[in-house]
Amino acid sequence: MKIGIPRALLYYQYYPMWKHFFEELGAEVVVSPHTTRVILSSGISRVVADTCLPAKAYMGHVMSLVGKCDCVFIPAIRSLKAKVFNCSKFLGLPDMTRAVVPECPPILSIDVDMNKGEKELWREIDRLGRHFTRNHSKVRQAAMSAWQKHLEYCRLMVEEGLTPPQALERMFGLEAEPEGKGASKEKALPTADASGQAHIAVIGHPYILYDHHVSHRLINWLQQHNIRVHTPEMLAAEAIDSGIGRLVGQSYWTYEYEVVGAGGHYLEHDVDGVIGLVAFGCGPDSLMMDMVRRHSALPGAAAFMNLTLEEHTAEAGIVTRLEAFVDMVRRKKRRKETCA
Amino acid sequence: MRIGMPHMGNLHITLKTLFERLGVDYVIPPSNSQRTLSLGAKYSPEGLCIPFKLTLGNLIECAAMGADTLLMPGGNGICRLGYYAKVQQQVLREIGYNAEIVELGVSERKLIGFMQMIKRLSNDASWYRLITSFRFALAKLHALDAIERSVQKVRPAEQVKGAAQELYTSAIEAIDGANDYASLKKIKKSYLAQLDAVPRQSRANPLKVRVIGEFYVVLEPFSNLDVEVELGKLGVEVRRTTFISEWTKFSLFLNPLGINEKERYQRAAMPYLKHDVGGEGWESVGEKVLHAGEDYDGIIHLAPFTCMPEIVAQNIMPTTQEDIPVLTILCDEQMGKAGMLTRLEAFVDLLERRRRARLACNNVRRAYGSLLRD
Ligand code: SF4
Ligand code: SF4
Repeated sequence: MKIGIPRALLYYQYYPMWKHFFEELGAEVVVSPHTTRVILSSGISRVVADTCLPAKAYMGHVMSLVGKCDCVFIPAIRSLKAKVFNCSKFLGLPDMTRAVVPECPPILSIDVDMNKGEKELWREIDRLGRHFTRNHSKVRQAAMSAWQKHLEYCRLMVEEGLTPPQALERMFGLEAEPEGKGASKEKALPTADASGQAHIAVIGHPYILYDHHVSHRLINWLQQHNIRVHTPEMLAAEAIDSGIGRLVGQSYWTYEYEVVGAGGHYLEHDVDGVIGLVAFGCGPDSLMMDMVRRHSALPGAAAFMNLTLEEHTAEAGIVTRLEAFVDMVRRKKRRKETCA
Repeated sequence: MRIGMPHMGNLHITLKTLFERLGVDYVIPPSNSQRTLSLGAKYSPEGLCIPFKLTLGNLIECAAMGADTLLMPGGNGICRLGYYAKVQQQVLREIGYNAEIVELGVSERKLIGFMQMIKRLSNDASWYRLITSFRFALAKLHALDAIERSVQKVRPAEQVKGAAQELYTSAIEAIDGANDYASLKKIKKSYLAQLDAVPRQSRANPLKVRVIGEFYVVLEPFSNLDVEVELGKLGVEVRRTTFISEWTKFSLFLNPLGINEKERYQRAAMPYLKHDVGGEGWESVGEKVLHAGEDYDGIIHLAPFTCMPEIVAQNIMPTTQEDIPVLTILCDEQMGKAGMLTRLEAFVDLLERRRRARLACNNVRRAYGSLLRD
């Protein structure tokens, strides 16, 4: 059986885990290509206009998998931690996809809701595994080793400072990129701090940060301009938790860690500037990024810039804003150094 | 301590009664208006839904009137609403108010939580006093909703446009002023009778639409540009499920017994949406499915612009097999009345045509049937 995985939304966080799980159970996994203009606009044509950009891209990815696989894996992830929820689009993802992409191959799904406890999660995993085998213990084994893969993936990012695409590359080798703008030649980030090099953190959902088409390769641009880039995945859990604690007290959404947690940490540690990337139409971000922005006004916080990405955002516009921001950060840094 | 709370429909009348009876100091902000909306929008982050903006406007006005404790609905797992208070608190601080926002966990503990909170705020009034005050406040709520239901029926048929609405406005005032059960009962009875006596047009069977959608915009007429009144002017009868009294009835008495008012809709939505997606998204899909099979001509779907659950619903609703015309109205400060009226008129036209076509079809079928019988 060939299982399609859309290269969008949760792909960036869980791909190694999913891939491993399905392969352990004897299935083959295909991933949709990197986002292109065509993929995005085909997604846009199917949903109502105020749907968020990443969900639009997701639908485009599902459409690009039609005819290439026997079924598509679309999880419904409700909550990964008791009382911390995901946004509506994640909760209704399988149903929404079925509605707007009727030609979609059969959907394989799993409901993840940690409010219902671990037992229920195992039951869901078993239900998913039953599509492949009747052997309970085989499914459990596959799930356990898939979880190990996930931990390995996280370790690569936290300990070696890799971004998700770099970590994926390390784990699975190069995946050819259609446009080949030389993006896949990203080097691992130098760990030694070349003196005078400015540090900038880019925060936001992974499916915005690392989708080259949606983010206009913002991270690459920064790296090419001799900026040391930090991302939320590189932070250990304690740093994130203390960031969340300072800004909002308690997390409410799953994404709190990549936006509020990372924002809270980076505004006060490690970097000279923080860029908040927000997708047009994102509900949680409208509130969370605002908390980060307000915090950045406090004395001593790193410089902050909020960038909203729309389907019509022109790369030139982003570059202009980036240049201005980087200049400002560098100037501030120099001033601070001469003062010291 | 002085309490303030945002508006939603006629809720303030109920709360006022409660606070007065318990001797709690309170303020009622000015009713929602363009001013409230501009005030809220001015301090809102980009891309937020209209309930956030209006409630923020209310809270700022409460604070300006000297309230130091602001009650806001909140809690986990109910979409952005649960996060409102955190941001609104920051906004208030930044403008320079010291008022403290207290979150009411409406999703988990519902009214019980609210009662406990009121008990604390009222300097620990006795449960007896609390419950009797609460009962009277609820009685007002029920009277208001009963009158509103009747108004919904009279509006489309009245000969003089606006007659029912006028009665409604004065009924609200009268109920607001009622001090005991007897006068409340008298007021209710008298207004229901007056509404009954409003001269009506002879047209027997007005078009019937169901109003569905997100809780706040359905209940707060200012946020939906008085869509029900406008539909009434066009001669359309409006029905809806969402009333505050329904909500209190269920969350106070029936939900603890395991009776869920929404289950009917959720079950109907199952083939198309299997999960609660926050807000009223799930129920919107279910209501469409159910009402398509009932005696309605169309559905007006009210959704705040950028509302996440309703976006999911909007994406799914057009694909259900059960078919009924749906007009989605996105509520936002950008929405102009003229634009909405044009869309409403076009929609009502469509419904008229559909009904005529259906009648013609039925007549043919009947004629054909009698032919066969002969
Ligand atoms: S979190 Fe934001 S960007 Fe992600 S799916 Fe939800 S609304 Fe869209
Ligand atoms: S349900 Fe809609 S209107 Fe209500 S908080 Fe959520 S997004 Fe805003």
